[in-house]
Amino acid sequence: MQASTLGDHISRRFNKDLEDVRNNVLAMGGLVEAQLSRAILAIVSGDSELGLKVANDDYKVNKLEVGIDEECSRILATRSPAASDLRLIVAIIKTITDLERIGDEAEKIGFLASQLAAMDRPSDSYRELKYLGNHVAEMLRSAMNAFARLDVDAALEVVKEDDRVDEEYDAITRQCITFMMEDPRSIRRFMNVTWAARSLERIGDHAKNICEYVIYMVQGRDIRHTETLEHFDPAAD
Amino acid sequence: MPHAWKKLLGGLAALLASGAAIGWLYGRPEVGLLIAALGALGWQVYKLLAFDRALRTQDFEAFRFGDGIWEQIFARFAFHSERSKSHKLRYRQLLKEIRKSTDAMPDGAVVIDNENEIVMCNKAAKLLAGLRPKKDRGQRVDNILRDPELTKLLRSGDSERSIDIASPVRVGDWLNCRVVPYGADQKMLVLRDVTERLRLNKMRRDFVANASHELRSPLTVISGYLDSLADEDGLSEWRMPITQMQSQARRMNMIISELLELSRLESAGRAGTANLVDVAALVAATRKAFASRPGEAEIRTESDPDLKIRGNVTQIESVITNLVSNAMRHTDPDGSITVRWEAHRGGAALIVEDTGEGIAAEHIPRITERFFRVDRGRSRDDGGVGLGLAIVKHILSRHDAVLSIESVVGEGSTFRCEFPRSRVVTDAAAPRSARA
Repeated sequence: MQASTLGDHISRRFNKDLEDVRNNVLAMGGLVEAQLSRAILAIVSGDSELGLKVANDDYKVNKLEVGIDEECSRILATRSPAASDLRLIVAIIKTITDLERIGDEAEKIGFLASQLAAMDRPSDSYRELKYLGNHVAEMLRSAMNAFARLDVDAALEVVKEDDRVDEEYDAITRQCITFMMEDPRSIRRFMNVTWAARSLERIGDHAKNICEYVIYMVQGRDIRHTETLEHFDPAAD
Repeated sequence: MPHAWKKLLGGLAALLASGAAIGWLYGRPEVGLLIAALGALGWQVYKLLAFDRALRTQDFEAFRFGDGIWEQIFARFAFHSERSKSHKLRYRQLLKEIRKSTDAMPDGAVVIDNENEIVMCNKAAKLLAGLRPKKDRGQRVDNILRDPELTKLLRSGDSERSIDIASPVRVGDWLNCRVVPYGADQKMLVLRDVTERLRLNKMRRDFVANASHELRSPLTVISGYLDSLADEDGLSEWRMPITQMQSQARRMNMIISELLELSRLESAGRAGTANLVDVAALVAATRKAFASRPGEAEIRTESDPDLKIRGNVTQIESVITNLVSNAMRHTDPDGSITVRWEAHRGGAALIVEDTGEGIAAEHIPRITERFFRVDRGRSRDDGGVGLGLAIVKHILSRHDAVLSIESVVGEGSTFRCEFPRSRVVTDAAAPRSARA
């Protein structure tokens, strides 16, 4: 009798540990999402101060990553989780790496925004970057929602969405090249635009990775580097 | 004793007595009694099993009529189950009504427990914030709405404060979030769509800024010609009107600059914390600037030179100048004005005290409104524009500070700007003892 209550207590603490680390990942996701949307706003509105602030705030994301990483190692060492608990921890360790990279890309975009703000502004205030940015931010948001809700279908949607982001990125690059050929003086500016688009595209890739971890976490299946997504049936197993 | 009991006990007694009597006739009364008791027991067991079967099959035909104890038990049971069924129906109806009414609310409402886990949410919460009423039950609300500001608000449990976050569903929309206590151990997160309000606010700000800007160029032309007219000889009969027009043009110019200043302040964010502001030096400079004017009240200053704040120098200077010039205008030449800069409740306070006419209590809440005048009849040529205190209030809120006003009519007013501890820096380089 005594032993069983003790066992129940320990597993409850274990549950709470897992729940806490999961909540921390989502809080980190929230911070990264905020960083990304502020970076996009900085580019679109030409706000160099906001851009620099985003770049300077990246340390908060890094700090969260280190904290969660430590917590995960602690859980692995002391609890030796198995099955779905183990998959959760593995997925979390991978997810925070991608989130941290997204934070780095947002930092880059913020820095580029502060540089772009000092240059000539196009009449459309970088509308195509805004579209790509909003698209990618939406992907990241859906990815974190799928993580919170353990929603495989939503995760799969995001994975498929990445192709469209790649297309948009291609279009922006082509457009920038055209502008640069027309007016070599604008090369400097459009290089920055290309870099920002590149960072956004990378964020899309990281969001896709997070979704793949969600699918791994829920179903225990690794769908990375498989080109047969069309045939993937989430209801299988 | 109820009738059914009487019947049961009476029947039992009669059965046992007759069993004993028949047994006595045969010379073995105990055997007769035993057979009678076993018979009674068998009958009751039969009834019990029949009742159990009836409960299972819901077929109560055998128990519907009669006045035996089992029929009575069934009647009571049927009555209670009938009543609870109708209660359940009523509650379900009521719940449906409540759900309908919460779904009809235009504001999103999310009931959360102590752990911020979603207990219930309405349709508007789904439309505004993308929460799923059924699927997200038990999920922590800050795991779905991951805005760091909202997480901070939920953690603080402050029901007074509200924040605006970007809607996660509709790009460009803004939601005002507020957490209110709800029942025991629960909270309600109220989400309100404020996109339209923010848009209108922005429109108003832009309008004021643009209008002021547009007014400025024609005014420059007018004052330019007025200045050259004033220098012209041979217009002696126009001397008076021209001087008046000049002073009014100057006044208009001042109003426009202050309006522009206000709209700049409104669109600026919080004042940065990179720069240290030496308030004591600013107070001394202001005193010097005002003291040179004859026929005005005397200014006294008491300031702590070690106390500095983090913020914007020009804005803090504007606060001091506005407060002092305001006090000047409302104080007689024989009165006095005291400016104090001192430590206050862990933070610091800038206090401007005058011995002027004072403000009636009912006007104090409105005094920082734009163009608000205590006395409509009072002439507008006392030099004030009517925007000074509005500017002060805006600057202070950009510095996390608050303005409090105390006043007694006829005795004077005290304007107190309280800066929080987080903004205050005490200069350690100059020890306090050295100052005395």
